[in-house]
Amino acid sequence: MAPTETTTKAKEEPPKPTKPTKPRTLADMADSIDQETFNQILEMDEEGEHDFSKGIVYGFFDQAENTFEKMEKALDDKQLKELSSLGHFLKGSSATIGLTKVKDACEKIQHYGAGKDETGNTDEPDEKVSLGKIKKTIETAKKDYKEVEAFLREYFGDDAEPTSSS
Amino acid sequence: MFLDGRLSALSLEEKHARSPKSPLGDGDAPVKSPSLACIYRYTPTPTIVLDASMTIVEVSDSHHALSGRTRQSLLHTAITDILPAEIPAPNIPTLYGALCAACSTGEVQVVERILPANKILHNLRVTPIFDGSALIYLVLEALKLSEEAQSVKHAYMNETYKILVDTVKDYAIFMLDTHGNITTWNSGAAILKGWNTEDIVGKHFSVFYSPEDRMAAKPTRALAVCLREGRMEDEGWRYRRDGSRFWANVLITPIYQFNQHVGFVKVTRDLTERKEAEARMTAAFEESSRLKTDFLANISHEIRTPMNGMQIAMTMLADTGLSSAQKEHATIIQDSMSLLLQIVNDVLDYSKLSSGSFSLHSDVLDVNDVVGAVLRNCRPLLKHGVDLTATIAPDFPKRLRGDPLRYRQILQNLVGNAVKFTENGYVRVSTTCTPDSDEKGCCTVRTEVADTGIGVPDNAINTLFTPFTRFANSTLRQYQGTGLGLSICKSLAELMNGTVGYAPNPEGRGSVFWFTARMGGRSIVAPPKARTSTSTPVDRNLSMEMRAIAPHKHVLLVEDNMVNHTVMLKLLHSIGFTRIDGAWNGAEALSMIKKKPLSYELVLMDVSMPVMDGLAATGHIRDMGLQMPIIAITGNALQGDAESYIAKGMSDCIGKPVHRDQLLSVLWKWIGT
Repeated sequence: MAPTETTTKAKEEPPKPTKPTKPRTLADMADSIDQETFNQILEMDEEGEHDFSKGIVYGFFDQAENTFEKMEKALDDKQLKELSSLGHFLKGSSATIGLTKVKDACEKIQHYGAGKDETGNTDEPDEKVSLGKIKKTIETAKKDYKEVEAFLREYFGDDAEPTSSS
Repeated sequence: MFLDGRLSALSLEEKHARSPKSPLGDGDAPVKSPSLACIYRYTPTPTIVLDASMTIVEVSDSHHALSGRTRQSLLHTAITDILPAEIPAPNIPTLYGALCAACSTGEVQVVERILPANKILHNLRVTPIFDGSALIYLVLEALKLSEEAQSVKHAYMNETYKILVDTVKDYAIFMLDTHGNITTWNSGAAILKGWNTEDIVGKHFSVFYSPEDRMAAKPTRALAVCLREGRMEDEGWRYRRDGSRFWANVLITPIYQFNQHVGFVKVTRDLTERKEAEARMTAAFEESSRLKTDFLANISHEIRTPMNGMQIAMTMLADTGLSSAQKEHATIIQDSMSLLLQIVNDVLDYSKLSSGSFSLHSDVLDVNDVVGAVLRNCRPLLKHGVDLTATIAPDFPKRLRGDPLRYRQILQNLVGNAVKFTENGYVRVSTTCTPDSDEKGCCTVRTEVADTGIGVPDNAINTLFTPFTRFANSTLRQYQGTGLGLSICKSLAELMNGTVGYAPNPEGRGSVFWFTARMGGRSIVAPPKARTSTSTPVDRNLSMEMRAIAPHKHVLLVEDNMVNHTVMLKLLHSIGFTRIDGAWNGAEALSMIKKKPLSYELVLMDVSMPVMDGLAATGHIRDMGLQMPIIAITGNALQGDAESYIAKGMSDCIGKPVHRDQLLSVLWKWIGT
């Protein structure tokens, strides 16, 4: 069900032309992508193709872009609770794929939105402070996201040769 | 009879006197003057007179009516040449027997109750006539039985029995002819079956059977069995005239008359009341047994609380610098108290076990560990010179799925007993594991405790595992206990699908107690304490075992995030699950569960979801009384989150991202066999 749906969606949107200077491997991305988790997704593929993992990852791209838009709107409306919930939502899926940096940023958004500090342990009573921190964190999250997105699009690249697992 | 004898003697004498001159052979010759010879010719009693050569010399006219043969055709015929029925006699051997006896003894012989062609019962009287020592005649008379004798004999019982049968009201006693038609009816039958005599006599006895039984020819078969076996007893539903039924005990016996089958006697008892009484007795017994168990449980529980208080106080008191005499007393109090507590705990366990409310907690079990712990525990009680050892098969699986606490309880009890009753020699514990041939991945663990103690006397073997029985002489202070230990072991072993047993120690003195327990998962991994970065090869076994059971489990996955939902779905498929339903929020999950409440054996539940979150959904599911494992899948890894989820009804918690091995071991923990 879901995988085919996402694959279709992904095909509607051609890969962005952000070409990296040199081809990178999964190992190069160790800071941004948790190898074990991402490999688990790759292992779910049938032999010799990446239909499932690609579907999942591209589905995540849709979800992420959508969520960032919603975050910016909620930020304008100063909807802290909504921001926390959006952070939590994207945290779940980015964690599932192993995008650690995005996940960490989202978790911070979740905590700030809930009126806490970045660890979620201490209260932050000032909404303005929270909103300010969220604004910055969304920037970070988007930057981190763009980075892994570029890599992953290249990794699953429609034109590129099917990259064997490193 | 005597008179008859005299008369015949007279007549014969006369005949004898006249015989040379008299034309006795000429039956048509008119008799001119009444002579004694006329007596045999005209007697109303059918009579044949034989001479010494067994030839017929006179036949009474009345005989014709009985035999259907003319006097002429019978005269001068040897008795051997006519049919026994025409005499009448039951058969040739009987007739010869009677004739020989008459000749040799000179006494009158009577052959009783012969049924000739006219169906009227007769006795045949054979009277020998001797002149001095020479036999001259034999007189054969067919004496008809009296009307009363006929009818009573026909009913096959005498008056006393008839009255008895007629007045019995608790039993239906009646007779059937050879075809099964009813010929007699007593008052018991009338009361029991609701038919009166006039209406039922002549009907076939199958009217008492259900239509199904009649279709199956049960009545006919009953008679056939009865003829073959000599009797037939049966219990079943029988029907009254008004159509109501009763639970009946039926006894049918065939009746024979002179070796001839003439019918059946049927006795029917109504067992409905007895059956009901039995049911009431059983119910009353169960109720009283339940009350006893409840009482035991309550009282034991109430005793335990103050006991604990006393124990703590005693321990504190012992530390207050007591004199040595005081210390000794304190020790006695402490020892007695721990014994008492043990007894109360035993009674509690026993009452829980006997009420069926005892449940096992499946966990990872290391048998070797448990055996070691039990041995350590029992060692201080070991008598000097007794050797306590344990052996375990080298291929014994390191980890099994079972209830470690209860396994330990049985072992503790058996080893404790062995140590208690062994003054010298050894106590040996040995454990083996046999893979189960029926169910893959299961095995039977057999643990034996052999000792060289006092053993078990033969007369106690049968009651060894019976509650509250003790063979050890209770007056010996040396051995104390409730007599519940072994019975608890038995119940616990049975709860683990095992058994307990006893055998005398084959090495002579002492006993061997053993128990078996069925355990799951011959090799499973312990739940990972910390996540490892690479999957270990040990996981392969668990993965295979999970694959064996997963297709039989119906799983509900509740997750709102499409990416996570898809990945979880794929992950579950890769583990081997095939029956997975998906829900996208708590409300949807709840409505799916409400539709088929007992269908799902496992729920994987995201915590934060729109519409209804996972915790609320879990609360509702638990409120419905459903106890399937609900495993939280959460991105919140804060300390205390997992605890709070479990407090709210979830069974376990997995953090995101979900890793296959971690998921496997958590799933195995909850749904592994």
